[in-house]
Amino acid sequence: MQPIVLTIQKQEIAKWLEKLLETGEVIAPGAGHCGDVIFSTISSPAQVLWDFENPLHPPKQFVLPQTDPIVAIKRNGQGHEVEPIYDDTRRFLFNVRSCDVKGIAFLTRMHEMEPADASYLRRANSLTVISLTCSAPCPLGFCVCSDSGPFLSGGYDIQLTDLGENYLVEVGTEKGEAAVSNAANLFRTATEGEVSLRKRLETAARNRFGQETCHFASAMRRISTGRVEDALWEKISDWCLECGGCSLICPTCYCFSVKDRVRDGDWIRCRTWDSCQYAAFTLEASGHNPREHRKERMKRRFFHKVSAQYYVRDGTVGCVGCGRCIKVCLGTAHMPAVVGAIRKGKWHE
Amino acid sequence: MNDVFLPYIARIVEVCDETPDTKTFTLRFRELKDSTDFQFLPGQFLELSVFGYGEAPFCMASSPTRPDALQTTVRRTGQLTDALHRLGNGDEVGIRGPFGNGFDVEGTRGKDLLFVAGGIGLPPLRSLIWNVLDERDRFGKVTILYGARTPTDLVYKHELKEWGKRSDVEFHVTVDRAEPGWTGNVGMVPVLFEKTTLRPESTLAYVCGPPIMIKFVVQDLFMRGFKDEAVISTLERMMQCGIGKCNHCAIGHRYVCRDGPVFNYKQIRELVE
Amino acid sequence: MSIPSDMLTIPTTCPFCACGCGFYLLANKGELVGVAPSETHPVSRGRLCARGWAAHEAPLWGSRLREPLVKRNGTLESVSWAEALDHVTGRIKDLIDAGKSIGVLGSPRATNEENYLAGKLARAGFQTNNVDFSYHSICRPLIAGLEEVTGEYACSISLNDIESSETILLIEGNLAKTHPRAAFSVMKAVETGARLITIGYTRTQMASLSSLCLQTAPGGEGEVINGLLAGVLHLGLEDRISVAGHCEGYDALRRDVGAVKMTEEMQRAAEWIARAKRASLLMAPTSGQGDQPRKDAAAFATLAAITGHLNRPGSGLLLLLGRSNVRGACDMGVAPDRLPGYQPFYDGRSQQRLQDLWGKKLPSARGLDAESFLQSVSGLIVLADDPPSVLPMGQRAMAAMERMESLVVLDAFVTPTVGAAHAVLPIASFAETEGTLTSMEGRVQRVRATTDPPGEARPGWQVLAELCARFDVRVSFSSATDVLREIAQAAPRYARIGQRMLDEGWGGTLAEDSARGKFVLHATGVAALTSAERPQVLARDGAFDWGRDPLVSFSPTLSRDYQSQRKLFPNGFVEMCKQDADELGVRAGWQVKLTSVHGDAVVPIQVRTDLKPGVLLVPYAFRDHVANVLCTDSVTAVKVEQA
Repeated sequence: MQPIVLTIQKQEIAKWLEKLLETGEVIAPGAGHCGDVIFSTISSPAQVLWDFENPLHPPKQFVLPQTDPIVAIKRNGQGHEVEPIYDDTRRFLFNVRSCDVKGIAFLTRMHEMEPADASYLRRANSLTVISLTCSAPCPLGFCVCSDSGPFLSGGYDIQLTDLGENYLVEVGTEKGEAAVSNAANLFRTATEGEVSLRKRLETAARNRFGQETCHFASAMRRISTGRVEDALWEKISDWCLECGGCSLICPTCYCFSVKDRVRDGDWIRCRTWDSCQYAAFTLEASGHNPREHRKERMKRRFFHKVSAQYYVRDGTVGCVGCGRCIKVCLGTAHMPAVVGAIRKGKWHE
Repeated sequence: MNDVFLPYIARIVEVCDETPDTKTFTLRFRELKDSTDFQFLPGQFLELSVFGYGEAPFCMASSPTRPDALQTTVRRTGQLTDALHRLGNGDEVGIRGPFGNGFDVEGTRGKDLLFVAGGIGLPPLRSLIWNVLDERDRFGKVTILYGARTPTDLVYKHELKEWGKRSDVEFHVTVDRAEPGWTGNVGMVPVLFEKTTLRPESTLAYVCGPPIMIKFVVQDLFMRGFKDEAVISTLERMMQCGIGKCNHCAIGHRYVCRDGPVFNYKQIRELVE
Repeated sequence: MSIPSDMLTIPTTCPFCACGCGFYLLANKGELVGVAPSETHPVSRGRLCARGWAAHEAPLWGSRLREPLVKRNGTLESVSWAEALDHVTGRIKDLIDAGKSIGVLGSPRATNEENYLAGKLARAGFQTNNVDFSYHSICRPLIAGLEEVTGEYACSISLNDIESSETILLIEGNLAKTHPRAAFSVMKAVETGARLITIGYTRTQMASLSSLCLQTAPGGEGEVINGLLAGVLHLGLEDRISVAGHCEGYDALRRDVGAVKMTEEMQRAAEWIARAKRASLLMAPTSGQGDQPRKDAAAFATLAAITGHLNRPGSGLLLLLGRSNVRGACDMGVAPDRLPGYQPFYDGRSQQRLQDLWGKKLPSARGLDAESFLQSVSGLIVLADDPPSVLPMGQRAMAAMERMESLVVLDAFVTPTVGAAHAVLPIASFAETEGTLTSMEGRVQRVRATTDPPGEARPGWQVLAELCARFDVRVSFSSATDVLREIAQAAPRYARIGQRMLDEGWGGTLAEDSARGKFVLHATGVAALTSAERPQVLARDGAFDWGRDPLVSFSPTLSRDYQSQRKLFPNGFVEMCKQDADELGVRAGWQVKLTSVHGDAVVPIQVRTDLKPGVLLVPYAFRDHVANVLCTDSVTAVKVEQA
């Protein structure tokens, strides 16, 4: 649909949030312990934080929880009954950043691929994502390198831009429309001046990025044509402690395992977050492990994230430039460092 | 939208002890409609749920030409298979699938087919063998070479005898180590190549078994003039979802559960670990 | 179907190793869902290791103890709390009246509050000093050695400070696996140019990053440490001011290392350590017979002392304790010869303090350590511990427990020890209780309840308080905080830990001893282990079997590698280098017979390329297969032959 462009006064945001709270759950960045910022369900507009760095824990947990119950298996005398567990609670993700919008869109694309995953899609289809553009790069972000920010040209439900006294409200989907029409009296159509201000703000924001910190193109070429030497992967992997944090924190990682959990005498089949960096990820029942060595697992991760083969399949590189892996890496082998090493052909030298 | 993690419920209708650690389970869907839904190709696999233990992938050991006899042959290797082996007739299991690409049955009509299997590698090939034998006149020469460590370790013992009796099938069996009463061939599977004449130019070779056996057999076939595309095998990997999403079985950008598990050697060489 | 969220995000402390990371446990509708990292936590700073990321799994997926159980006719039957507590009290009282001995095992998997009350129950309630924790046998020499030099066992450098070290000396089993957060600090330091020196038996990940890898045979650490001491002294690189002002025994030290032969590498390492303005010295438990590990630890601390790194800002020593609350268990007096505050049990002031606080006289007879009292007590209370999985002679411990007249287990998880229990009191896991843990840095941090304990399980401190009351011990606690308040009186160092620090912050560090006394210097002895008859050494590799710890074994994500190894090697294995295997004429999977002074065993081998010839390692998980050969030693000389 053609984007609808509106504006809302800043002092009206609380009223809009209240309307959303009447319609469904609202999740927004809120205060954690000792100054942490954590996405949490809010019960009042005052709980939404506006001035913060993007929370380290990504909002993917709202479409893919770390422990995701998907099938209930009940005993029925000698037999069994199975029932899918799905969650189509209406939810609003409020005040997220462009990189996270792209991240959720990526996950949705993965789970829409045949055969589509109903469990995931029910959650994703009931979630409306309302994002706020970034006027300046966050300290570790490189979203411009993967076309995931600071502003998006599409793929959003609602994109807000801070124009000073009000927010520009770009509505990109029917879900977004529904979220706005609920409180239609708070919005008015944007003027041409406001629309061009938004364009200027985007240019200014992009310019603030300066030197791009992560160049995917040449790394992609080398990875895709097998021109990264094993010895380089070995060196890089010496600086990885296999915490799996990169996969768990990444908005576009979705590796999982499926396990049955006992609950009150019956079972719940759960999907659980997993990481290709763990040695046992590919461990077979026979004891054989095709990716026994850390360097092999490191190579696998970056192939999946950056190769041309996956780029063609997924429509985008497996990275939204949010910079979380830099923060979470229990080592020094995060995305920009590895991509840089592949481009230069050397590591820590 | 599919509830892709929701299993069909099936009942075990027959259990056959193949070897001390291997059993064949014949399964029947509890709901008739599921039986019709579950259209599979030889070479595909299913994810079998042993309720309370989890799920594991097992290849189809039967053919769609015999829909009432859905079978899978399972060796006891861990907690889940142990639990499965303790189940009997009437017990329920879950089935998800069918998954994977299966063998290209249509594309092999008229060709000569060579099946080379070792030990527990015979079950996946049997799904194709049954299909071929059920439509025998649509295929060329059929040669089956099978070997196991000992006579006790041979699976489908009765069926092997039937194959040996058929005039439209050339069948040879061997064991690495004989046991008292064994009067057949002794030696590893490649020795059976001496017992038959192979025509590489018109034959498709299907090889399945322990990695070391596959390695030697495939080497032998290439030496005898088989082309990469004509040698076909099934790859095994740790799998969970079966639908190419969990990424456990990914090799490069291919997924063993979707692009495989059946691959020819040209494809195998192209797989980037 | 609508499943509205009921989300909780609760800040807590990691229960695995002793680095003391923090994170949030996530729960939805009363069930644990996952883990979120904390950027503001002073140790984690946004990061976690694989274990931390899966911390929610064991409480969620594990076999949980839900109801009090009492063994009747050979099976554990569920009973009410009142009945269970009555039963336990009755049985223990009967044993005490009959003059039989009782023991209490605390745990580095339990909170300070739980450990403190376990010690109080033992001393004030049962009038026994038989109180200890299984892992203590592994870390005791390390702590004792440091104490010999500094008078206390406080560590003097923080994980964050390690990052700015110029030189790092690391004695490790495998730091990347035992303490990933510490390994991260080492990596950061090396990234910015620090020189890393590693001492160990195998080529670990840290060894690959090192500037110098001093690979030894097990039992040979002492030689290396003496060599480093010699290096510093012979080159005249000791910190003269520190030595003159703070050290005792300098002349004796000079004499002791006078004849030590240094290699060129040791000299280089000594220089790096001595010349660094900021250095970290990290030490894990080492192998050795008898006194050797304690002497090695003392010599290691001596090295830090004479190079000035024990009392210089930005430098220091860190003991790599294996489990989250080792330090807490020690501080709570869970040791036969220590009172709360880790004070010697004969210390008059501490005794008086406790007697006043508890209103009871303390038992005067010295207690036995865990390994010993397991073999001799008739009644045993086990708090969140599983001796067969932790003690060096695991099977022997299991056999001892099976012989006991009354075995009472308090735990959240079904462990092998539960199988031998006569009574089971289910307690909350770390995710369901309030309490504190003390990390190896000396940080006291909270664990917080994120979900309710399952079934009838209760917080451990509550159950122990009830038991105390039934043994006439003064307890009046309405919260875990109340217990901590009493702990502060029993162990004055904990007085500094204020409630605000714990509630509003991420915790507080223990008070340092203001007056740093003298450092007493010691070289270590070097005893030859091998002989012509037994020319090789067999050592336990590692100090802890994570695979058997319930927080790992019940985690689907974490348990995979360990389960697979146990399944594939039901008879275990010992590792040797290819050269040794060739000389013996054996290959991987073949059996060898090992013979030591203690006995012999037949075990399969595996080959690894990074061992020195003459060295055999048995993974800690497989030590029971060679129990006859090692006994309680961590290294012993062996003869190896084809089986």
